[in-house]
Formats: sequence, C-alpha cells, structure tokens
Amino acid sequence: MEAKRYDHLNETLHYEQLANGLKVYILPKTGFQKTYATFSTKYGSIDNHFKVEGQEEVTVPDGIAHFLEHKMFEEPEGDVFAKFASKGASANAFTSFDRTVYLFSATEHLKDNITTLIDFVQNPYFTDENVEKEKGIIGQEIKMYRDHADWRAYFGLIEALYKVHPVHIDIAGTVESIGRITKETLYECYNTFYHPENMMVFIVGGVDPEEIMELIRSNQAAKSFKPQGTIHRFFDEEPAEVREKNRVAELPVSLPKCLIGFKEKPSGLKGRELLKLELATKVMLDAVFSPSSDLYQGLYDDNLISDSFGSEYNLAAEYAFSVVGGDTRDPDELLARIKGTLETLRTSGIPQEVFERSRRKKMGGFLRMLNSPESMANEFTKYAFKDIDLFDILPVYEQLTLEDINGRLQEHFDWEHSSVSIVKSGGAR
Amino acid sequence: MQNQPAFERDEASRIRLHMLPTDRFKTFAISAYIGSPLTEETVTPIALTPFVLRRGTASLPETKQFREKLDDLYGAGFGFDIYKRGDYQIAQFRMDIIEDKYVAGANSLLQEGLRFLGEAITQPLTENGAFSSKYVEAEKRTLQKKIESIINDKIRYAAERCIEEMCKNEPYRLHPLGRIEDLNGITPDSLYASYKNWLASSPIDLYVVGRTSLSEVKTLVEQAFGAIGSGSPDYKRSATAVHVNEVRTVVEELEVNQGKLNMGLRTHTTYADDDYAAALVYNGILGGYPHSKLFTNVREKASLAYYASSRLDGHKGILTIQSGIEIGNYEKAVSIIKEQLEAMREGQIQELEFSQTKAMIRNQLKEMEDSAFEMVAFDYNRVLSGKQRSVAELIAEVEKVDLEAVRKIAAKVELDTVYFLKDRKGE
Repeated sequence: MEAKRYDHLNETLHYEQLANGLKVYILPKTGFQKTYATFSTKYGSIDNHFKVEGQEEVTVPDGIAHFLEHKMFEEPEGDVFAKFASKGASANAFTSFDRTVYLFSATEHLKDNITTLIDFVQNPYFTDENVEKEKGIIGQEIKMYRDHADWRAYFGLIEALYKVHPVHIDIAGTVESIGRITKETLYECYNTFYHPENMMVFIVGGVDPEEIMELIRSNQAAKSFKPQGTIHRFFDEEPAEVREKNRVAELPVSLPKCLIGFKEKPSGLKGRELLKLELATKVMLDAVFSPSSDLYQGLYDDNLISDSFGSEYNLAAEYAFSVVGGDTRDPDELLARIKGTLETLRTSGIPQEVFERSRRKKMGGFLRMLNSPESMANEFTKYAFKDIDLFDILPVYEQLTLEDINGRLQEHFDWEHSSVSIVKSGGAR
Repeated sequence: MQNQPAFERDEASRIRLHMLPTDRFKTFAISAYIGSPLTEETVTPIALTPFVLRRGTASLPETKQFREKLDDLYGAGFGFDIYKRGDYQIAQFRMDIIEDKYVAGANSLLQEGLRFLGEAITQPLTENGAFSSKYVEAEKRTLQKKIESIINDKIRYAAERCIEEMCKNEPYRLHPLGRIEDLNGITPDSLYASYKNWLASSPIDLYVVGRTSLSEVKTLVEQAFGAIGSGSPDYKRSATAVHVNEVRTVVEELEVNQGKLNMGLRTHTTYADDDYAAALVYNGILGGYPHSKLFTNVREKASLAYYASSRLDGHKGILTIQSGIEIGNYEKAVSIIKEQLEAMREGQIQELEFSQTKAMIRNQLKEMEDSAFEMVAFDYNRVLSGKQRSVAELIAEVEKVDLEAVRKIAAKVELDTVYFLKDRKGE
C-alpha cells in the first residue's frame, strides 16, 4: 500500500491495486464520525456498444446501466438496504454518463458495512420476475423526470447537440427501451463491466487505512475472478454539426427556460492535459458569466435573467460541451445579448484582474469541497476514471495564464456548432 | 463524539453568539439566524429584505463590488435562505470561508468575513434615508419570479399546496417567500422601516464554527455589526393544537406526466415534547428510509412509485407523506398508504423494523458532527424550541423507544388532508 501526503491540504491518500485489478483508495479524516465509501465501475449510460477481447460484439438497450444499478440491491435473502440499515448505514447508488457508483455512509459497524458493499455489488441476482417488477418503478422514475422542467431543458440540449454519440440518450432510457431488458442482457453487461479490473473503491472518513485495506484485500483474495480481456467500447463517429439548432419542449412553467450549448470537437487530450483544458475553460466561463461579471449584471438589470442563470462545462475524452442559460422572459433577447457581449469580449479579451479573481474563486471552491467526504469520493472517482488525479487540480489552477483563458475564449464559442433548448408553457405566448 | 467540545455562548450587542472551536474543517462556517412570527402583514417585506441587502452596502454600493469582494475572499460562499419553523419565519445568512492557513494572504479571513456579513446585514446601501429604489424594484421582480417558479418543480409544488390547504386557517399556510399580491404595496421607505423594526426586535443568533475562540468572535462581531438596539428576546412556542374533524381531499389539474400524491397529518407532538424521540421513530418506520413501510409496500411490492416517503416537521408537528404515481393508480396508492397508517396504529411493527430504524436515526444524528452547518442547525433547534437536549441525549431517548411508545404516537396521528396533482385528461 502506498501513501501520498499532501501537506498543503493536510490530507494523506492511501492506495493499492489488488491482485485482481481492483484499485482501492483510502483517505483518512481524523476526528470525523462518518465514513463514506463508494464502489464504482467505469460503466455508464454511454456504454451501449462494446466487445470484450475474444467475445461477441454487443449492443444493448438504452437505460440498461441504470436498470442494472437498481437491480443490484436485490438479493435472494431480500433487499440490501435492510442489511445496511441493520448496521446503521445509509446506502444509495447512482448512474451517470460514464460510471455507476454504489455507496453508503455510516458511523458504526464500518467493517461489516464495507464488506456488505463489496459483496452485494459482486453478487448479482437477476430473475425474470424481479426484472419485470423493476420496469414499473423505473417507468415512474422516467415520468418523474419528464415533469421536471430543468431536467427537460438540460437533456433537451444534449439531444439537440449530439446526433450519434450516446451521451444524448437519457440515462434511464425510455419506457419502451427498458421494456426490452431481460435478465440475460443484464448478466452480459454485468459480467463485462463489473470485473474488478474495471472498478474502484474509495473510502473517506474516520478509518484506519491499514485495517481497512487488509479487510478488502482478504475479501477479494477469497474470491476468484477469471482474467478479463480488454473491453473495447465503440462510439460511432460524431459529426461536427449539431442534430438540431433549436429544440422546444412544452411544460407548465412560470418563465421560459433557455439553455445554449456549444459543442466542441473531441480534444484528443488525456490526463493532466485534459484537466488543464477543463480548468481553463471553467475559469473562462466564470470570468464571462459569473454573478460578478458585467454581462450578468447587465442582463439582471434589464430583467432578462435572475438567480438561476449560470454556466457549466462537461468534458470527456470523446465529447465536450458547455451549457449557459437559465430562466428568462425572452429567450431571443437573451441570446442576442450573449452573442453581442461575447463578440465584444473576444475583441478586448478578458482583463488580467478578472482572470485572477475567477481563478482565486475556483481555488477556494476546491478547498471548500474538501470538507465534504461525499464530494471527495465522487470527484476523485470521476476524475480517476479519466486518468486524472484530483489532487493535481490546485497546481494546475496555479499554472494557468491569462493567455490560456483568452485562448479558450477565442476557440470555444462556435455559434455554428451550438444549439438552443427551450422549455416553455404551451398556449398563447 | 464524547470528546467533541460543545458550543460556547456569549452576547455581543443584542446578538446571541454561539461558537464551536474545531480544527477539523478547512473553513470557517458562519450562520446568522433572524426570526420573526409569520404574519400576513410582515411575511412579504421580511422575505424581500435579504434580497435587497445582498445588492449592496454602504462601503460596497454596487452589486458587482459586493460580489467581487467575496471572490477576493477566495470565493467565500455567501447566501441566505428563508423558511418556516413552527409559526416563525426565519432568515438564515450563511458564509463559508477558507481557513487562513490554506491560503497566502495578509488579512484574517475570519475578520474579513464577519466584517462583510455584519455590513451586509446592518449597513445596507441607502438613499434618502431608505433602501435604494433601484434595488428594491429589481428584487421585487426577482422575488416574484421565485414565488412563481415554485410551480416548475411539480414535486415541490404539490408539497406546498398540500400544506397550504391543510393549514388554511393558520399562519403556517403562508409561504416563507411571501405573497405576490403584497409586492406592489412595498416602497423603499416602507421596506426600510420594516427592516429596521425587524432588526431591532427579532431574536438574532450568530454561529461560528472553526479554528478560533469565543473571545475573538465576540470582538470581531462587536466591530462588524453596527449598533442595532438591545435585548435578545426568546422564541415562543406556539400553543395551538388543531384537531381534525374530517379528512379533506383536494385535487388539482396541471399538465403532468406523473401524479403527485401528498398527505398531511397532525402529530400533536413537537420538538420540545418528551415523546419527540418516539415521533422520530414513528416517522422512520413509516416512511423515512428504504426499509420503511411506505417504500417497501408502495414502491417495492406494488411497483407503484419511484418515491414514497414520509417527513416529520418537528417544529410544526406535521407529518407529510409524498409519492409520485401513475395517475390511474390513485385509489390503489391511497389505499396501500392508509393500510400502513393502520398497521402503525395496530402496532404491526417487527423488531427488525425497530432496530433498523433506530440504527439509521442514530447514524444520521452522529453524522451531523462532520458538518459544521448541520451542527449549527441542530443547536439552533434548541434555541427555537427552548428544549435543552444534546445529540447524545436524543440518541439515548431514541434507543429507549418501544412498541408502546410508537403506538401512543400512532394513536395521536390524524390524517388531515389528501392532495393529488393530476393531468387534465379525463379519467
């Protein structure tokens, strides 16, 4: 087991890769009552077309990664939630584009709970009955999201931006697509992606690293996993053009929601270079759109936006896009103003002072995040699956220059490869 | 937990200070609570006030300057929330600032943070002896949008509507953000007058958690907060007990894909009561966790819902049940939920349900210690309710709750209102 000390952050990260390929990270937080543990697989909603070396090529129905996550909690003896509850642990899970995470938080019976976490995820139990029953539950989940205006605006935007790449597929799928899921396909996905080589454990809280690492080592040593061939994940080539320039959905909302997305070509970058691109873009977006910016204040004074206005940047190896917007009384006017400001700003450039302030804000935000065991575990895992080290973030921020930020400002806002997603009320408007 | 220090207390002008020394976190957490009774006349001006305060102060009159100051403090978090606790409307201001040792800077960030907060609350930008009319007009619009936007999140909307219907004849029906129809009547002068009054007469509790001392905090608060009068009133517990004559059902129609079913129940037990721990266990067994009766029966067994849960509002003495269902399954869902309520009354609760629920409650209470703001919120319950009860004491009380105690709670619980949000299509 290795230990890396980050003096300036007052943290130490312990790490070991086990014989079966599983990566285990432990971050002790002295004096903390809680332990938060995650067991994650690099398998998400975008992985719908794959092939394991030496086996068949497979395409699976939309929503299966999420479906699998739901079904994992069912065991022959009953629901795993009950097992966790008996030991005072609060368990949950989530599926995103690129990973599925199983987790618990607890203040006692840590060894039992960690054992339960690892064992239940490594013990799939799918039957025709329990698969069928889950379809009703997930069907309701899908409907719940369809009533959520912010969700519709955001996913509507991704659908509008991407023609081919599976990022545009709803993580839960559709009622129709999950209708086609069988226990056989669930097992196929499980056996491919839930191999320890493709997975990671991250534990943070009031624990003794040696003890916990030994617990996990022994747990894994007692199980056998056939060696896994390389997993090939296929993504059809995504054209530069967007699928639609404008997408509108009707829901009863108090004000229209308007989101603009700018699509970027995959950068081809990896590791720390990819991280630098992400952070430079985020600082640039903050400098342009944050509540401290001139743009924000002007739009607010003209009653075009209010507190819901913001921006974000989503960067992965084979897709990247930004999202800007919020509630507005006049989407066209909002877009025109943003466009105008960006043109002016691209001529003048972002001033040094604004860049420094945004960077400082982001660095402070990172430090504040370290207070939260949940955020640490989730962020670390998210970055690790992209071969990025969370602890490189502060040094990379420090190394950014004004040229980096202004470079991003020039490159990123490509109106030709952008889309707009609007959610508004039906009827006369 | 046995080794953790407790809050230390003092007063600075008319502000009650509460300070928890710790070096476990990378930040200073600061929370200021200002509470006043929920009334029709005051609810909207009080809700509007923090929005105007965050626009500018005497020394940072432009909003941009105000925000840039926060950015310069390493992106210090500054925000406020307005909510109901019992029959009080509470405005909570929060700041989250990096500890000095993590950044290279000259000034104490705690001092800067408290100075900033103090000025934001007590020295707003004024013109002609009142608030800036530009800021007041703009924030009236913002507040209106916020109130109107409640409808965007159908789950939240249904929950609010259920309470509104259930508490028709009580101040609690008022939304903490106020009423749109009141906004027109508010002027910069009237708002300023209500603000001064609010500041001079409401209990103010300021919490600081971090690597500092009570005496340092007291000095800084005295410097940072201007003279705002004297006297620290206590919160009064409301004595009203509402009994239910008959259950009301309210159905509303909007364009929704999924039906939102909400129920409001009276518990006749509040935070300060001796049977509060039993009410916590009751709520936990009924619908507080994934192993609970509602989740198991409505979701897992009947496959009717993705969410089916219950929540206890300890200050008001109300329990709410919420579930998102297929519109056509309304009767079935109501029936299954009522069966669970009946099961609670009959004491059809297994030992495992008890032990699991207690373990989960214990876990939640212990975990609070890892969050500065959660520890603050728990202590503030003490201020609001007048009940001295530490986390350890509450955990001990929860451990002692038995079937008899839960049955007593179940016997008191009365279903008051059923609210259902469905679509416009015919059945």
